[in-house]
Amino acid sequence: MNFLEFMQQMVNGFSLGSMYALIAIGYTMVYGVLRLINFAHGDIMMVGAFLGYFGMAVLGLPFVAAVFLAVVGSSLLGMLTDKVAYKPLRDAPKISLLITAIGISFFLENIFNVLFGGTPRPFPVPEYMEHIINISGLIFSVASLMVPIVTLLLLTIILWVLYKTKYGMAIRALAFDVNTVNLMGIDANRIIMLVFGMGSGLAAVGGIFWAVNYPSVEPMMGVLIGLKAFAAAVVGGIGSVGGAVIGGFIIGFTEVVVVAFLPEYGGYKDAFAFVLLILVLLFKPTGILGINFDKSRF
Amino acid sequence: MRKLSILATSVALLVSVSVAKEIKVGAVMPMSGPLAAYGQTTYDGIVLAQKLQPTLKNGDTVKLVLVDNKGDKVETATSTTRLISSDKVTAILGALTSTNTAQVIAIADKKQIPVIAPAATNDKLTMRRSFANRVCFADSFQGKVVANYALKDLGLKTAVVIVDQAQVYSLGLSKAFKKAFEKGGGKVIKKLKITSGDKDFKAIVSQIKTMNPDFIFLPLYHPEASMIARQSKQIGLNKPMFSGDGVANQTFIDLGGKAVEGYMFTDFFDYSAPPTQKSKDFIAAYSKETGKNELNSFTALGADTYFLLVDAMNRCSDPSDSICVNKEIKASKGFEGVSGIINMDKTGNATRSAVIKVITNGKAIYKTTVNP
Amino acid sequence: MNIVIRKDQWINLAIIASALWFIWFASTHFDEYTVRILNNIAIFTILAVSYNLINGVTGQFSLEPNGFVAIGAYVTALLLLDADAKDYQFDIESPYPWVLGLQANFVWALFFAGTFSSLLALTLSFPVFRVRGDYLAIVTLGFGFIIRILAINNPEITNGSLGLNDIPEFSNLYWTGGIAILAVWGILNIVNSKYGRAMKAVRDDEDAAIAMGVNTFKIKTFAFCTSAFLEGVGGGLLAALLTSISPDLFTFFFTFQLLIIIVLGGLGSTTGAVIGTVLVIGGAEWMRFLDEPMNFGLFVTPAMPGMRMVVFSLILIFVMLFAREGIMGKRELKDLFKKGKK
Repeated sequence: MNFLEFMQQMVNGFSLGSMYALIAIGYTMVYGVLRLINFAHGDIMMVGAFLGYFGMAVLGLPFVAAVFLAVVGSSLLGMLTDKVAYKPLRDAPKISLLITAIGISFFLENIFNVLFGGTPRPFPVPEYMEHIINISGLIFSVASLMVPIVTLLLLTIILWVLYKTKYGMAIRALAFDVNTVNLMGIDANRIIMLVFGMGSGLAAVGGIFWAVNYPSVEPMMGVLIGLKAFAAAVVGGIGSVGGAVIGGFIIGFTEVVVVAFLPEYGGYKDAFAFVLLILVLLFKPTGILGINFDKSRF
Repeated sequence: MRKLSILATSVALLVSVSVAKEIKVGAVMPMSGPLAAYGQTTYDGIVLAQKLQPTLKNGDTVKLVLVDNKGDKVETATSTTRLISSDKVTAILGALTSTNTAQVIAIADKKQIPVIAPAATNDKLTMRRSFANRVCFADSFQGKVVANYALKDLGLKTAVVIVDQAQVYSLGLSKAFKKAFEKGGGKVIKKLKITSGDKDFKAIVSQIKTMNPDFIFLPLYHPEASMIARQSKQIGLNKPMFSGDGVANQTFIDLGGKAVEGYMFTDFFDYSAPPTQKSKDFIAAYSKETGKNELNSFTALGADTYFLLVDAMNRCSDPSDSICVNKEIKASKGFEGVSGIINMDKTGNATRSAVIKVITNGKAIYKTTVNP
Repeated sequence: MNIVIRKDQWINLAIIASALWFIWFASTHFDEYTVRILNNIAIFTILAVSYNLINGVTGQFSLEPNGFVAIGAYVTALLLLDADAKDYQFDIESPYPWVLGLQANFVWALFFAGTFSSLLALTLSFPVFRVRGDYLAIVTLGFGFIIRILAINNPEITNGSLGLNDIPEFSNLYWTGGIAILAVWGILNIVNSKYGRAMKAVRDDEDAAIAMGVNTFKIKTFAFCTSAFLEGVGGGLLAALLTSISPDLFTFFFTFQLLIIIVLGGLGSTTGAVIGTVLVIGGAEWMRFLDEPMNFGLFVTPAMPGMRMVVFSLILIFVMLFAREGIMGKRELKDLFKKGKK
């Protein structure tokens, strides 16, 4: 392997890692506040990608408008699932909530499968996104360059919302203790819904950029990415938005490094996220950022 | 004289009424689940074939019994048992993939019920089995076709193979290709492993670029092959790419877009150059039925399982005698099918030709036919 | 008091006797199709009651069955196939010599299948049960996934995605039904023992259980390993019933089916798990109509492949939202006989 290929692989790892990071921040938000593994997160991401696809391919919207449509649509869907499926179970045993989450996830996958079929559809990537940048032999597309920028942008916005706004304060308070928040006269249910809306909107952005980088959308696309994003969130320190980004990069780089340098083990690529997850749980359950999730969250 | 002829007709009528019976033929197909798209396409062919030829020579009618195996092994076993023990079928058509077809055969072989597989290409499928048959070619032949075409017609000497570890089809085809390619003097530089469902292949294509092979062989299905083609073009890897019949569909071209221009693949037949009279008739019936001319290979193969079976039944004095039917299926020589001329052998394998197509201006264009 | 216990025992004996009689009657009188469905029901009963032990009784949300069933199926298949058969069918890579040497009779094969699954469960327990909360779900989900990847990528042991074929067909209704009865009986005994009470205590209030001196790690691990053992055995029976296995058999859908079964039957009720199995596995044949075109008289809906899965997930959500108790709640069959007591 020469230096150029090495650097190219690093670029590849960076672009894949930022993809996982983007999806993991949405995951960690919902988990941080509700301590609910929202199995449907990956599927809301799929819905977001489909909405983007319909916006562009069917309605003929420009890319930015399609992203807007997807974010709004997915946020509404996220809030709706919260209202219909999760809210009635706030006081039920945790297991009921998790089973419902699995049910929602399966429902979304299969209703999309029934309505639109399982055949992948080509995502209409805007011309300028497919443009190739070549810096002395290092090659990457505009689309893959945009992912880390979008991730950083969203990260900044989320941190700003969490630490500089009234709602953010309520969200952080909620993450500590739901009952106290209610006593303070804040409608916890409204805040939880808001978190679901935000988390689902982030999932939609993730879904669209995933579809731009790997231009095919199909009902099952969210399953594996959702799981890996969760693993990324745990590895980085679940509940921490920054940790999710770090975790995403670790998993993305691991996958690329294995395929590039140990091609013999390329078949195990998808397993590494889970192996990392198990290792972290064994040796440092609080994740890399070491967030103690019985106390602080963000 | 007139009386006599009336008598004769009425006798003939009487005979046919009293003798004509209904023969049940089972079909095990994934009509739902992950393989549904392929299953439905194949079943369309079987149904249309039955519509075109619903009766046997002796007046017996054939009734199709379809069971959906949902692409699942447990369901496949249950469906096969149901067809044999409660529907009492004479023969079974299906299933689609090699693993599920192996399941059907495992049960049917013990009960001496012949199975005709439309599209299961794994070499081992028919070995050590007496009642297993197929109308498609096996992996070993397809691998040979690609290897010889690349070596002799295109003069490509080195190849990188990308194999999907999770697909039986991919494993079988890559193995067959490697064997034939190296026998012909070519060199497989590297076999790279992927798993179906992967989307990011940048790490793989970056490696291939450094290896600089003459061409890339991708015995994959369309979702993965199209993504690899796109990501290769992105990093400026412009080597010829070759696949098997796994990408022989329009979805592949839609997904790949401009990146699959010049992409080559093998297929069973080409609707624009119908190889037999039967294909012409079938395509006409198909376009009357659906309004489309583009007959998918799977539909053609599905139809051929049915036509081959009916042809074999016609040669048996008792068409519901499954042992005789099985013997006659294997004895079919020069059978004119929808997808081309099929010669069956004792092992239940079909000897048949393959076609090579190349994607030009967003269309799969017929290039040549390779005979065995 | 004594009389009540005796009555219970009589009822149990009567149930077991009639179940045994039914197995004999079914094997000798029913056609193969029915027998096969009964075999499926028996195997899924084993899986459902053991899955219920960790999910329903101990209250730990786990998504492991497909992983352990796969392990059990592969162990059994490798032990039952003789060296010749293995050598012949290993097509991708030639098998390791020790793989060829594996050989055992059916009983030992099932025992090893269970033990091996159980040991793996024990190793998984350490990372999972050390942390509280719902990591178990995601780790077990990942575990099932890793098992599939291992099966695909180790063709020297598993023959990769080609899977193992021509497994001797040892399973019949006597085996599957007999082991199902044993499994139900065994699980009921555990549930009614002091371990069972500790499991329920963990489910109902973990903090209280810790305060009462229950070693929750030990109890959870015990429940998890017991489930894994029976799931391994169930996998073995499945392999010897189907006679061919491959990695694509053990996807997450397998687990999802079991989840529906125990939720529908009533989380925590072993009797419910049995009823759920009969409804879901038996009902699956009946549910076929959902995927077919439907004629409502006025209009005809086109065939919608996959509709069944939508219905499945809706059932799951509805049961959780509106009938969280499922059919049996946490009750067992015997509770139905002593109505007056509660």
